[in-house]
This record gives sequence, C-alpha cells and structure tokens, in this order.
Amino acid sequence: MTTQQLTSKSPTVLSWQMRRFLIGSSLTLFAFILVTAYLTPFLYMVSTSLKNREQQTNPNSPLWPATVATYTYQDQVYTMYAVPTEQGVQNWALVKKGRDSSYFIDPSNPQAGLIEWKGQWRALQEAWVVKFEYSNFVSAWNMPGQAANFPRLFFNSTMISFTGVIGTLLSSIAVAYGFSRFRFPGQKILFMVLIATIILPRTVLIIPTYAFFVKIGWVGTWLPLIVPHFFANAYNVFLLRQYFMTIPREIDEAAMIDGASPLRTLISIIVPQSIPVLIAVTLFHFVFAWNDYFEPLIYLSATPQLQPISVGVQAFNFMYNQQPAMIQATSLLGLSLPVLIFLVAQRYFISGVVLSGAEK
Amino acid sequence: MRKLSFFLVSLLVVVGILLTGCGQAPAPTSKPAAEPTKAEEVKAEPTKAAEVKAEPTKAEATSKEGKIKIRWFVGLGAGGDPPQVEAQNAIVKKFNESQDKIELVIELVSNAAAYDTLSTEVAGGDPPDLVGPVGVRGSNAFSGLFMDLEPMVKKMNYDLSKYDPALVNFYRVPGEGLIGLPFAAFPSFLFYNRDIFDEAKMKYPPDDYGKPYADGKEWTVEKMAELAMTLTVDKNGKDANSPDFDPKNIVQFGYHPQFTDARGEATLFGAARFVDDSGKAVIPDNWRTAFKFYNDGIWNKHFMPNDAQVQSDLLAAGNPFSSGNVGMSIVHLWYTCCLGEVKNWDIAATPTYNGKVTAKLHADTFRILKGSKHPEEAFTVLSYLLKDEAPTLRNIYGGMPVLAEEQPAFFKALDEKFPQKVNWNIAIKSLAYPDNPSHESNMPNFQKADERVKVFYTTYRGTPGVDIDKELESLKNDLQVIYDAKK
Amino acid sequence: MVVTSKPAKISGLSFFEAKWGYIFISPWIIGFFAFLFFPMIGTLILSFTNFNLVNAEGLKFVGLSNYYKMFGDPIVYSALWITLKFTIVALPIGIIYPVLLAALMTAKGLWGRQLFRTLFYLPYIVPMVSAAWIWRGFLNTDAGWLNYFLRWFGLPTPDWLFTPFWIMPSLLIISLWGVGNAMLTMISSMQSISDDMYDAAAIDGAGPVTTFIFITIPLISPIIFYNVVLSMIGLFNYFLIPQILKGVAGDPGGSTMFYNLYLYKTFFTYQDMAYGATLAWGMFVLVLACTLFLFGTSKYWVYYTADER
Repeated sequence: MTTQQLTSKSPTVLSWQMRRFLIGSSLTLFAFILVTAYLTPFLYMVSTSLKNREQQTNPNSPLWPATVATYTYQDQVYTMYAVPTEQGVQNWALVKKGRDSSYFIDPSNPQAGLIEWKGQWRALQEAWVVKFEYSNFVSAWNMPGQAANFPRLFFNSTMISFTGVIGTLLSSIAVAYGFSRFRFPGQKILFMVLIATIILPRTVLIIPTYAFFVKIGWVGTWLPLIVPHFFANAYNVFLLRQYFMTIPREIDEAAMIDGASPLRTLISIIVPQSIPVLIAVTLFHFVFAWNDYFEPLIYLSATPQLQPISVGVQAFNFMYNQQPAMIQATSLLGLSLPVLIFLVAQRYFISGVVLSGAEK
Repeated sequence: MRKLSFFLVSLLVVVGILLTGCGQAPAPTSKPAAEPTKAEEVKAEPTKAAEVKAEPTKAEATSKEGKIKIRWFVGLGAGGDPPQVEAQNAIVKKFNESQDKIELVIELVSNAAAYDTLSTEVAGGDPPDLVGPVGVRGSNAFSGLFMDLEPMVKKMNYDLSKYDPALVNFYRVPGEGLIGLPFAAFPSFLFYNRDIFDEAKMKYPPDDYGKPYADGKEWTVEKMAELAMTLTVDKNGKDANSPDFDPKNIVQFGYHPQFTDARGEATLFGAARFVDDSGKAVIPDNWRTAFKFYNDGIWNKHFMPNDAQVQSDLLAAGNPFSSGNVGMSIVHLWYTCCLGEVKNWDIAATPTYNGKVTAKLHADTFRILKGSKHPEEAFTVLSYLLKDEAPTLRNIYGGMPVLAEEQPAFFKALDEKFPQKVNWNIAIKSLAYPDNPSHESNMPNFQKADERVKVFYTTYRGTPGVDIDKELESLKNDLQVIYDAKK
Repeated sequence: MVVTSKPAKISGLSFFEAKWGYIFISPWIIGFFAFLFFPMIGTLILSFTNFNLVNAEGLKFVGLSNYYKMFGDPIVYSALWITLKFTIVALPIGIIYPVLLAALMTAKGLWGRQLFRTLFYLPYIVPMVSAAWIWRGFLNTDAGWLNYFLRWFGLPTPDWLFTPFWIMPSLLIISLWGVGNAMLTMISSMQSISDDMYDAAAIDGAGPVTTFIFITIPLISPIIFYNVVLSMIGLFNYFLIPQILKGVAGDPGGSTMFYNLYLYKTFFTYQDMAYGATLAWGMFVLVLACTLFLFGTSKYWVYYTADER
C-alpha cells in the first residue's frame, strides 16, 4: 500500500520518505551499537553460564563457550594442539608435558607411539570447538542438595511477587490519587512523611522489624513479605502521584460534575490514562520482589521450602562458591519470568498510548 | 460513599483471602515437581499455622506436634559444599526419625550473609539454638553470645575424660567458660599439584617433617619460594627466573596461601600476636619478615598471584589451587572439600622458618547460643552431632578426629574419595606443630582491630614496593587506639 | 483555580475534598503505623542507648553521647565525603542518560523498538549479587573482557577494581548498567505526551532538539523530578555493590568506604546497634534536608499539567 502511494507522490514526498528511512536506519544503527556495548557484560554472563570448568581456568580459551578437541589414547583423554613440525602443522594430542620438550601422539598414526617434540607446549594453540555446557542449567534446575528445587523456588517467588504486585497496585493507586487530587489539612507534611520513610537506611530498620514479626508470629511465613505491600509505599505512590499530576485536571473534574464519585473517576478516568506508568509500577515491584534477598532470607531461613528464588539461588551459589558458571546459570534461569513479564507488558505499553489518545 | 465502603471492604476481603491463602499455600498446592520435599512440607505446615496465632515461645508454637524445634545454623564456616549439605540434611532426617521430642531444623545461610542473619536473629530475640561448624574466628565475631557448656556437661554426664585436658582447655575462653567441645582438628600443610611438578621435571616437596628437599638442602620457606619461582610460568612458557619473563601474562603460579588473612599468612613464619599480655599493640619481628616476603613474592618475584589474579577466572575466581594453575598452597585439611577438578594432588611438609615449623591449626566445632530457649534439647542435639554422627560429619568437613584410635577409619574414608594415594601421615604429623597463640586468637575490640588488620592485608598484598615498615608502624598506632577504645 | 472561582462553595467543597483525600490515603496511614512507625521510633530510641548484640541485658540510656561521638568521628566525615563525591557525579549522569535513552526508545522511525526496550531493561532485572559477579569477572585486570577489548584497540588497560582511582569509574559504570527502571518511567511519561504538542511545535518551525528541550523535557519534568529525588536518596544509601565487590573494609585503601557501608559495618560487623542507629538518623536528617530543598526548588522547574496543591 505504501509503495503505491510512494510511486504516485511527488519528488518532495519521495525525498521525505528517503529522509525518514535515513533517520530510521541511523537511529537504529546507533541504538544497536549502544545496546551491544551495554549488553557485553550480559553476554559475559551468558557465555560464562555455558562454559565448562576446564575452559574457565584455561588462559588461552576463547571468550565464547568452547571445548578443546581431545583424543583418547590408551583410555586416557589428551588435549589436541596444532603443532608446527617439519612436515607442516600437525594436529597432535599432548600426552606428556615438559618445559623443553613434550611428547605427542599422532591420532592419524597412533601405532607410531609417542613423538618427542622440542619446544614450549604453552606456545602452541589448542584446537577449540564451540560447545555449550548445558549441564550447568540442569544442575541449576535440580539444585541437588537443596531443600527446594528450582521449580519450587520459582513457584514461591511467583506467589510472593504476584500478590505483592496486586497489593501495591491497589493501595498505591488509591494513596497517590488521594495525594494528587484532593486538598486536605496536613497534606504536604504527610507527603513528606511518606517520602521520609524511604530515607532512613533499611539496615537499621531490619532488627526492630524482625523483632516485631517474631512477636506476632509471622517469621517462617510469607506474611512479612506480602502484607506490608498492601499498604502502599513511597516509591510507587510518589511515581504515581507525579504521573497523575501530568493528567489535566479538567478531564476528571468534568466527570465529577457529571456526578461520578471520586472512586468512579479514579477507575474510569485516571486509571485508563495511566496504563504505561501502572505497568512501570508493576514491573518495578515485580523485579523488586523477585530479587529482594535479605528480608526473605531472615524471615524464611528456617523454612527453606518456602524460600523465594533469590534466597534459594544464593544458598545454592554458596555451595558452588567458586563456580561462576553455576552462579550465572542459576541467575539466568531466575531471570526468565521477569523477562517474559516484561515482554508481555510491552504490548500494554503500546495500548496504553492508544487509550491516552496519542497515536504514535 | 457506598461505593467507597464497597471498595474498602473488597480490599480487606482480598487481603484476607490472600493472607489465608498464603499461609496455607505451600502444602495443598505442592507441585508434583517437588516430590522429595513433600514430606517436609507436610511436617512444617502445622508448625507454621500454629506460629501465626501463638506467642513466640517455641514450646507453645510447636505443641501441636509435641516436638521442640531446635534450629541448627550453618554458614559461619564449613557446611555449604554440595556433599556437605546433603550429608547434613541426611543427618537431620535421621535424627528426627530417631526420636519424638525434638525436631531439628537446619538453617543454611551463605557465608556472605551469615553474620548479618545471625546478628539479626539474635538482636531480634529469635536466635537459633546451635551454630556450627564454627572456628575461633567465628566465636570472636560473636564473642559473649555462646553458652558456657560446663553445667550441661555435668548435668548430662558428657564424657570429656578421654580427651587430653589441654585440648579441652582450648575451648575455654576467659570470662565465657567452656564454649565448645572437642570435635575435630583441621591441621594445615602444603598441598601440591603433582602434574605441575612433573611438567617442570622437579622433585616433589619432602614427604615428612624433618626431611630435607631432594637436593639435600633444608626445606625452608626460602627453598619453597625458590621452587615456586620455577613453577611460575608466563604464556610463552618462560618461568619467573627467566630474564624475559612476562609478569603481565602469567598463566601458572608457584605458590598461593589460600583462604586466610594477614595473621594466617604471617603464621608460616612463626606464631605470634598483634597484642601483648598487657594489651599493648606489637608487631612481631618474624611477621614483619613475613609481610615483606609476601609483597616481594607477589610484585617482584611474581611467584604468588595478586588479588586481581586470584579473583580472575584463570584461578577459578578465588579458589586458586583448584584451578590446576597453582603449584603449591598451604591450606587446612578442610580444603579436601573444594579441590575442584585437580585430581593429582598430594600433601607435603610445611616448610621451616628459622629452623622451626609452624603449621597453623583450626579446631572448628558446634556451639550453643546463650539465647537458646531450650538449652537442654540443644545440648542433646549437640552431643548427637559430636558423638553419634561425628565420623560422618568429620568426614564431610575434612576434620581429623583428635583421638588416635579414630584416625585410621577417617583416613580410610578419605582414601576412597581421593584414590591418587595421599600422604595422610603429613596431616597427623602437622598436629605436632600448632600455632600457639592461634592466628585467630582474640584481640581487644576484635571486629575493629581485625578490620584494621584487613586494611593492612590489602596494602601489603596490593601495593607494589610498599614501605612495609612504615605501614606496620601506622598499623601499630591504629591498633593501639582501637585496643584502648575498648577499655 | 477552580476552587477560587467558586468562593461560595469553599467550605463544602474543601470538606468534601478533605474527606476523600483522607479516605484514599488511609491505606498508607494504617500501614505506616502498623509496620514502619514503631520500628522507626525504635531505632531512634536505640540511638540514645548503649544497645549492642552482647550487652542486650545491661541496656541503659546514654543521652546524646552517641551523637557527640558521631560528630567527632573522622570516618563519618571521610565516608560522607566519598558518598557526596559519588553522588555529585552519579546523580546527573544517572538522570541524563536514561532521559536520552528514553528519547531514543520513543523516537519515531526507530526499528525494533520493543526489542531494544527489552534489551536495555534487561540488566536491571539481573539480581545485585549476580551483577557483582558479572562485573568482577568483566572488569578483571588481566582476564576481564573489558581490558581484553581495550587491549584489542591498543588502549591502556586500567586496574579497574583494585586501585582507588579506577574503582569510582567502575562503580559508576556498574550503576549505569541498571538504569532500566528510570528509563522505563521516562518512556511511560514521554508516551503520554499527545501528538498535538509536537504538531504545534512543528508548525512553529521547531527542530527536533528544540522540541525535545522545550516540549518533552518540561512535560516529563514531574517524572524527572521523581527520579532525581529517588536517585539522591538511593545514592546516599548506596553501599551494596561495593560491599559485595570489595567487602566491608572499603578496599582499595578505604576508597569505597561509603557512609552507608560504614553504617552497615557498625551495625552488623561491630554489632554496635546503638551507634549504627545514630549514624542512620544523622544521615536521615541530612537527606531529609536535601529532599526538602529539592521539593522547595521544584516549583521553579517542575511543570505539572494539573496544578500542585
């Protein structure tokens, strides 16, 4: 359709189309370069998660997951090297290492026995082949030795995060609406008190809060991780309030004059206008709850079968302390649901725009 | 208004549903995926429900089952390696099946978070009962919080007579009493990688104390450094003695003192303390030599890795000897947990300094916290761990029995794990050269003093050619201030 | 505005407004008293006692002595200075970068927008502890990827994590990696700007840069303000990444001894909970003052479509 229009348009429009194409492609190219730089640490994470232990500690190994080609000689596995000889470069397996000379075996002619080669084996190139060590993910999934395996932790995290999201959305919308649309005595002070609650370092609040939850018997359950979120928090209220204040007041005042109650106005006017930011809050809280570590740890340390992923993964990583591959594999598995949710949320991001009447 | 109350009521209802739902979620919704944990879930369920209503006193909380809950906190020392975790879980299961009064629960917390978690639980009034395995260091960090076991030992007739009284005294701390019972010894010695020695066509370090190295010379720290130089190789295969050695691209190191701190590293040069009996800060001369030795070894002779290299993937991100790229390492017996892919290793004599061997010693054990609400039951569990399950636990932690008659069985089990034939005789003999005073001994105002020492540790390890004497002088002054602040 | 135009109904309307205002914020009020107020007061009381882990039973009030100690503590000042230095650099960058990123992500003509957004958001989801592991490997002096690439281009390879000079840029890079959330809030705000605004600007002949500065920025200023306030609070509370990467001693050479790391250390390592609480309240007063200052200035640069009242 666009091509038909294109051909029938005047040259100026054509050049406009051309310009649009140029702008689009250069923007995309720029974004691509930026995202590549931005994600190299992430690639490092992925690559590490797929490496085997031998490659990890091999200084000559490539950046991508790979393994050295090997040859089995008399039931022993030996590494293959590209060895320069008088007959050209040969692919031989290194059997016995030495400083001045080493012994190799020629896989194409094993009957010939060990060949002595003068030179430094460290200067030789190993023959690398790409190989993904999926078994890291298998162990991360099964979590041998842990009270709860990955699916169990995943389920726990999902429950805790989802209920928390519902709670924080309901309460924060209401509170932010209260702060942004109504005038009442003490409003400014109360809002500052709200902000102040996140200023005091959490480090010092942990012990009294923990003592309180011990007193009411919530330690060892999910309640301390969920219930407080049903009473709003400063991060979300502040964000929503800021956003609500960019929505012209005329719209909801018109609705109110038409006889809609404040609650009705909130549900039918404010909320539909705010879909993008509500999604931002959802993701924000979801990721927070998904990765929150210390609080679930202290509340659930004696009930491992109730722990969320963040805690379980840490305990598991503690077991594999010196194995970065395992740590990154478990972390990547843990990322799967948040990423999926983000991808789904993206669609609503777009539809939110349509609702607010701006077409892009 | 009606709508609002509807809104509020429905909000409350939702909250209520969720709360009850969450409280009960785990058991009924248990997925088929979590079969092995099912049994535990079902067991844990009533306890939890009870806890929600009841006062925090655990006796009431657990009354439904009639079992007293004893929490065993793991994380201050060993206990996090996969086989260890499995064995611990098996022991807990066995214990819980064996009797109907106590329910033992394990709290496994990663080492990085263990100190915070334990602090929070203690300060929050809900401490675990049993802590361990934990060494002298861990007990310094929580000094004053452990229960004096003396009354319990008397009351429960715990037999200590078979142990050397000096050994029992090792666990007595002035002002705190008997805060641990003999469990296992973790001597240190020299681990070495046979493959690396073979590649360099070098003879192995001496296989017994008192023996010289293969060249007939005394097995000293200097001799060890000499070997380490030859074992240190760059990517072109040149060793650290070679004039065109490239220190920027080292691929194999000769020596690394692993998993220890400044005092631990220095103890190879003789046991000492940073404080004298009158509470004055002192810098022992042999330790001064030690710190210079390490700085020189890392930055001039390059046979030891610096911290960046230790943390690199080449050296297995912080567990260097296990990478197979380190020739020798002085570590404790518990290192048998974590040797990774290195298979062809053996152990050898710790080298001498000034003609004297000092092989630092760990003696981790289990302790009971003062705040335990059920000290008697906790002690029952403690003696179960120390007596009935001691062989299994010692085996998984790599802790040697202190009684000679129990040692052969212990090493036999290790031989099954490490078929390359390890010279365990060294481990037994190392016990004869303990560091007294211990490299983990207390200092006044321990946490702050220890941290100041840590700062010095990064200085002498991290700064090429640093003026060690000057740094030690400032360390001494700072330590004195820290010690005095306590008084 | 609407209110003043109808003076006759002031009292009725304001009563109506106040009632609904209180009703809507009531969940937070309840939650505040149920979960936060008492712990907060508890730590305040703690700061006037000698409470620590061991002498829990020999507890007594010590008046203001913890506060005197704080004002005479040289580490407090050096830690504050380190925190301030980092904040002064990281705050502007941490705002400008996500704004520009959001502008790019909402730019017309960008292809594969959804994919790009996901990719830029991705690092934010990576848990702090694994992020620390990633960066420890990525920034390693000899074996790290970054130095590998720098060497490839023949550039000098800094000792990122082990020198007092380079540790700060390293921490900055790490914190920039997690701007996904800030970017997202900016995107959500930019998307709510109606096209009419841009069309009007285009008719006036404004170029893309002018439009961005004079239309987009003012219209998203409430969200920028939100991010400025939260970043500032977050930066004053910053310590987790240095703690995981470099431990509580503030390596190298005390250069990462941020205020909150000192606070954390006092609290958990030294187990001096009373002094820790004092440090926390000291920080609280300082950050609250900064926050009030920001709120005070907001009327000069934050543009609310719906008037602030």
